[in-house]
Amino acid sequence: MKFTNRSLRVVAVPLTAVAALLVAASAVARKPFTAEEQKAMDEKLTAAAKRGYDMWYGARADMANNGLACANCHPDAAATNPQTFPKFMPQFDRVVAYREMVNWCIENPQGGKALDANSADMIALEAYSFYLHKGIPIETGLQTRQTAGNTPKSARGLNVKGTGIGFDK
Amino acid sequence: MAELHDADRRDFLGLAGKAGLTTMFAQAVGVNLGLVDVAHAAKVTPFRFAIIADPHLYSPKDHVFDKHLEDAVAKVNGLANAPDFVFVMGDVSHHGELDQLEKGKRILGKLKAPIRSIPGEHDWYLDMGEGWKKNFGDEFWSFDHKGVHFIGLNSILVPDFWTKAGLTPQQRRDCFMPLNSPVPGLWGTDARQREWLKKDVAKLPTNTPIVIFTHSPLWDYYPRWNFQVSDSKEIRQILSKFSNVMAFHGHVHHTVYNKIGNLTSLGTMSTSWPWPYPPIKLPHPEYQQFRADPSVTTDGMGAASIGIGADGRGMVQYLPFEDSLPQRLTDGFKI
Repeated sequence: MKFTNRSLRVVAVPLTAVAALLVAASAVARKPFTAEEQKAMDEKLTAAAKRGYDMWYGARADMANNGLACANCHPDAAATNPQTFPKFMPQFDRVVAYREMVNWCIENPQGGKALDANSADMIALEAYSFYLHKGIPIETGLQTRQTAGNTPKSARGLNVKGTGIGFDK
Repeated sequence: MAELHDADRRDFLGLAGKAGLTTMFAQAVGVNLGLVDVAHAAKVTPFRFAIIADPHLYSPKDHVFDKHLEDAVAKVNGLANAPDFVFVMGDVSHHGELDQLEKGKRILGKLKAPIRSIPGEHDWYLDMGEGWKKNFGDEFWSFDHKGVHFIGLNSILVPDFWTKAGLTPQQRRDCFMPLNSPVPGLWGTDARQREWLKKDVAKLPTNTPIVIFTHSPLWDYYPRWNFQVSDSKEIRQILSKFSNVMAFHGHVHHTVYNKIGNLTSLGTMSTSWPWPYPPIKLPHPEYQQFRADPSVTTDGMGAASIGIGADGRGMVQYLPFEDSLPQRLTDGFKI
């Protein structure tokens, strides 16, 4: 089919009108959540992350039979890399979800009782460690990132800012 | 424990910030290499020493970390070139309980070589070092051996925040349990040790090889996890006249290397668990250990063996339990 200049104009006019309507609509459209709704949801998430922080540092005694807590090996949730799950883990010989790895740590190095994978406490542990890894690239493999994700900006008991002292060199 | 770590308590104690400022405003210290006396090399008879760090023993009988420490003892005892000493880098116990310290002394007593030790924060704050000193001796010390001057310092001291806050000994101790606890502030040595150190090294020739042990590193590695000695610049200044200062530390539970002027700093693997690396650019990433495999319970842990040559320089070899390190760290490198 060969368009003439006239036929293009015929098509173009209605499209321009539709685009203008869309722009106008988006300018007046309600955001997905109001500021109040967003604040309420953030508070719920922060509460879960704080519960996760407490558990990370040993608040639930049945998560260990030897005194160890998640934080023994993972200060600031370092080297947990939750964003890289699901992934293959050699000790499972299959692809696992992050919560399965959390339970593996609870049962093995900590010698504790695995959490119900869908429980509020498991979700709290996930909330804490994912919170500290927002924006971190996804990498996989045993040699993956072995450091902390984001320095916490707010969490109970943690510095709001890093010391910034850095190296002497 | 959680209520001790809330922001209100931290603000009330108000120590973390002050300690940080002290370090931030500390004057930069240069290293006076001009004082090095290379013409008269110190007479050193070659020998070897070993390092065992951070056993973190818990109270239960046959706890998994007991076995790790026994493995380290066996590894050191099995060295072809026997060490003259074994230095224990602190945190023998996890909670500072007497039974944990005594268990540590018992297991370390199986070493063929004599031990010298420095305290870690886990050993100290339940009873302010009483149990540790009873089992392991002086908190800071020095001695000469075959031409080398050895120094051990107590680098985990902070100003008293507990008396005014009315904390029990257990609460005080618990303030030091999390690596990122903001309550105690940055720790270091103290004026008493600095004065002692100045006198201790005053008459030593500048070409004397120095080996110094502190629980935490003598540089600002990552203060958020207390990976520093708050007065490290003053300590380095006191030692700046020497041609070669070899500094070893525990606390970080991984291999890490830095060189600041005449001082080479090396972190040692623990026998309990490996810490991850902090989120900073390492000055020498080639000394980094591999990401530990959590399914291998002793991966990322081990001990170290250091030979001192006739030239007064150290040959450092890490002794990992597993295949946790780049080959050059197990083959050995000179400092």
